[in-house]
Amino acid sequence: MICKKCDSPKTVVLRQKDFYCDECFMISTNHKFRACLGKNKILAPNEKVLICLSGGVSSSVLLDLIQYGISLENTKKLRIVPFFIHIFDVESKTATDFILEQCKKYNFNVYMVHLSDYLNTSCQLPEQNCIPEVNCDVANQFHSMQNSMPPTARNDLLLTIKRTLFIKYAKLLQCNIVFTAETSNTLAIKLLCNLAVGRGSQVQNDIGFSDTRDEKVRIIRPMRDISKEELDYYIKIKQLYPICNSSINNTNSLQSVIASFVFDLQENFQSTISTVCKTADKIGVCADRTLGKCLICESNFNDVNFKLSALEATSISRTVSFANISSNHNTDLSNIFKNDSHTAVFPLVHKYLCYGCSRIHSEMKRSTLPPHLQIL
Amino acid sequence: MPIPCRRCCVKNAVLKRPKTGDALCKECFFWAFETEIHYTITKAELFNKGDSVAIAASGGKDSTVLAHVMKTLNQQYNYGLNLMLLSIDEGITGYRDDSLETVKQNRDDYEMPLKILSYKDLYGWTMDEIVAQIGRKNNCTFCGVFRRQALDRGAALLGVKCIATGHNADDIAETVLMNVLRGDIARLKRCTAITTGSEGTIPRVKPLKYTYEKEIVMYAHYKKLVYFSTECVFAPNAYRGHARALLKDMEKVRPSCIMDIIYSGETMSVKEQVTLPTQGICTRCKFVSSQEVCKACVLLEGLNKGLPRLGIGKSSKAKRMLEEYNSKQVNGTDLLADAVNDLNDVDLDKSNKIDSKKKECCGNIDTTCNKNKSNCCGGTGKCNNQHSSAVHENGGNQKLNSLLEQYELDESSNIQDTLHPESNGANASDNSDGEYSKEEEDDTCSSSCGKMGSLQIGF
Ligand SMILES: [Zn+2]
Ligand SMILES: [Zn+2]
Ligand SMILES: [Zn+2]
Ligand SMILES: [Zn+2]
Ligand SMILES: [Zn+2]
Repeated sequence: MICKKCDSPKTVVLRQKDFYCDECFMISTNHKFRACLGKNKILAPNEKVLICLSGGVSSSVLLDLIQYGISLENTKKLRIVPFFIHIFDVESKTATDFILEQCKKYNFNVYMVHLSDYLNTSCQLPEQNCIPEVNCDVANQFHSMQNSMPPTARNDLLLTIKRTLFIKYAKLLQCNIVFTAETSNTLAIKLLCNLAVGRGSQVQNDIGFSDTRDEKVRIIRPMRDISKEELDYYIKIKQLYPICNSSINNTNSLQSVIASFVFDLQENFQSTISTVCKTADKIGVCADRTLGKCLICESNFNDVNFKLSALEATSISRTVSFANISSNHNTDLSNIFKNDSHTAVFPLVHKYLCYGCSRIHSEMKRSTLPPHLQIL
Repeated sequence: MPIPCRRCCVKNAVLKRPKTGDALCKECFFWAFETEIHYTITKAELFNKGDSVAIAASGGKDSTVLAHVMKTLNQQYNYGLNLMLLSIDEGITGYRDDSLETVKQNRDDYEMPLKILSYKDLYGWTMDEIVAQIGRKNNCTFCGVFRRQALDRGAALLGVKCIATGHNADDIAETVLMNVLRGDIARLKRCTAITTGSEGTIPRVKPLKYTYEKEIVMYAHYKKLVYFSTECVFAPNAYRGHARALLKDMEKVRPSCIMDIIYSGETMSVKEQVTLPTQGICTRCKFVSSQEVCKACVLLEGLNKGLPRLGIGKSSKAKRMLEEYNSKQVNGTDLLADAVNDLNDVDLDKSNKIDSKKKECCGNIDTTCNKNKSNCCGGTGKCNNQHSSAVHENGGNQKLNSLLEQYELDESSNIQDTLHPESNGANASDNSDGEYSKEEEDDTCSSSCGKMGSLQIGF
């Protein structure tokens, strides 16, 4: 068996059918990364870009691809000014140490930010290349908020929290672009997760090439055409040693159920992930900003232009199980409980929150919300 | 500790509603269940006063509960609807006998007229006759295609304003997942609509769209409704099988996900650049079709002209075959035989490929079946009555038992003990009850031709 590009012996097998040698494989992976950025024409020359690192496989490859890109000295040079950020939780000491070490090796500076910074209103850049002092009260408050939620809601909110922090620090660093290291595998899982928590209308921003919910900062996913399989070859060839981390670690959540489902299906059907991702590419967003947007995830509210939706049907279900309405009375059911956030299944929906965030909100301890959400 | 009913606060609750987690007593559950469906019907404006409505009746739990609730609400709220039951008999010896008996029971219980239309009435051929023509290998193409259109044809014969089908919330959520997995954006867009049907066709409506399957089973149980429960008859296509397995796992973790998935489907928009195939009307029979001449008409033409394989392969092939057939009529040449041979070869290749694919993915499904009923569909080629049972009152239904275990609040475990001492309720296979209206959008046969086993295991 020989490489499909040159005649060298094959060393890489993708999707059980495409053969490459190491060299051609690296060229092809680099090309995928650059093509994804190139065809979307989003980068101005010397664009400041905030790059989000986790220490995992895809993050390590992204870091390497960027280092390679900016080290080129020809027309192919990646003309960006990179900034790096790592968002950590207290338990993940190994990750923080690893990231510091990794960035030192590449000679990049990195900002370390604790998750509980979500609750902070202060806007200050931490010192580079060190782990900042974490305010214990804030951290405790943050963890008590997390722990008050069921695993599915917690995982769902965690993505939004990270997104919020990325955008906050991008603005502090005056970056208009953020890169995340999400791969096609991650995104296929994320699409199904989005559907499962009622975020079908947010797919384009959550899974697509770019998240344009913020007016200034765009989140870009330059690794979206690269698969987990390719990453594994990449780290092997370049001898990178990422730490093993997974954002989905709860065994009893929708996200973990979906992740293992996609993993199993992909094992048997090599086209699963690409099919799901292609589906995602065809799904659009509700572009009507006049309807208002969610205070937690910044998605535009849905324009529900049909007579009845699952939102209303669920609310009615709660109403009829709750209210002591006589069977003969033909009351207008839709108006009972409409604005009562204690009994409603979807508190504050389409007033302050989107469907998905409203569901999360109903499942959390409310006193622990960050200041800008305290009005809820 | 008995939990008081959340609504009346007087009686003890008998179940916890999977959709909202609220605990209700039996009477309040009946009221809530029916009132929600009433709300769906009125808010979504499914019917107009004076309409004739055909309820697609298979004898299964969904259509039985639908018929019961429609009858109740029609009286209670004066919908003024003229309700009737419509059943399709494929004409497979022995296969529908039990389910049609159940439908006849529904007719008597709910005092509704029942029309049973056979494939013979609708197409001029019974499945048995088609099998005799085509052989065993491709007949599932026929029953899949014919079934999709049978309700439309039947409704047209009855002259009704619309068809009500028993699709429940689980079915719809499952279809959303399935269409994502197979990348079918057009159907993804359509599948959450409560009313379907294009200009000039008889619309289909889904009054149970927001009703959980679990509650349907509980309602039928507490109301002691008679329905027909089959196991292993529903052979989902590969994608539906995977989607169903995923949904079941997800529902265990967060039951509200069924509604959340439906909401996702309802609010999801398709990018403007994406062109969706248009759904038109067949120029011959005037029923919904994405092609100029629908597949059913092509298949029928093939049968009627003695070219039964017509239409099984690609439509371009079919067209060529027809042209060649017609030219043969004129010229008397023997091109047709060549064309048929040609087509046969192609089909063989193709169906072999499909079969091997199916074998892989349906393995799971069949294993689950076999766990519970040994030898079910396993190569016997007929998957009919030996493991089906009409559920009467406390009928022996594994699914029901596992549901009661999960959601019923009082000491109902005795039901399980007495009914299924040998079965393990928690592992009950969750097979649908073979509602033939379910796969309106699938091309696959749901094995009502009895050939499921032979297609997927035998070859
Ligand atoms: Zn090569
Ligand atoms: Zn939101
Ligand atoms: Zn009650
Ligand atoms: Zn069949
Ligand atoms: Zn036709």
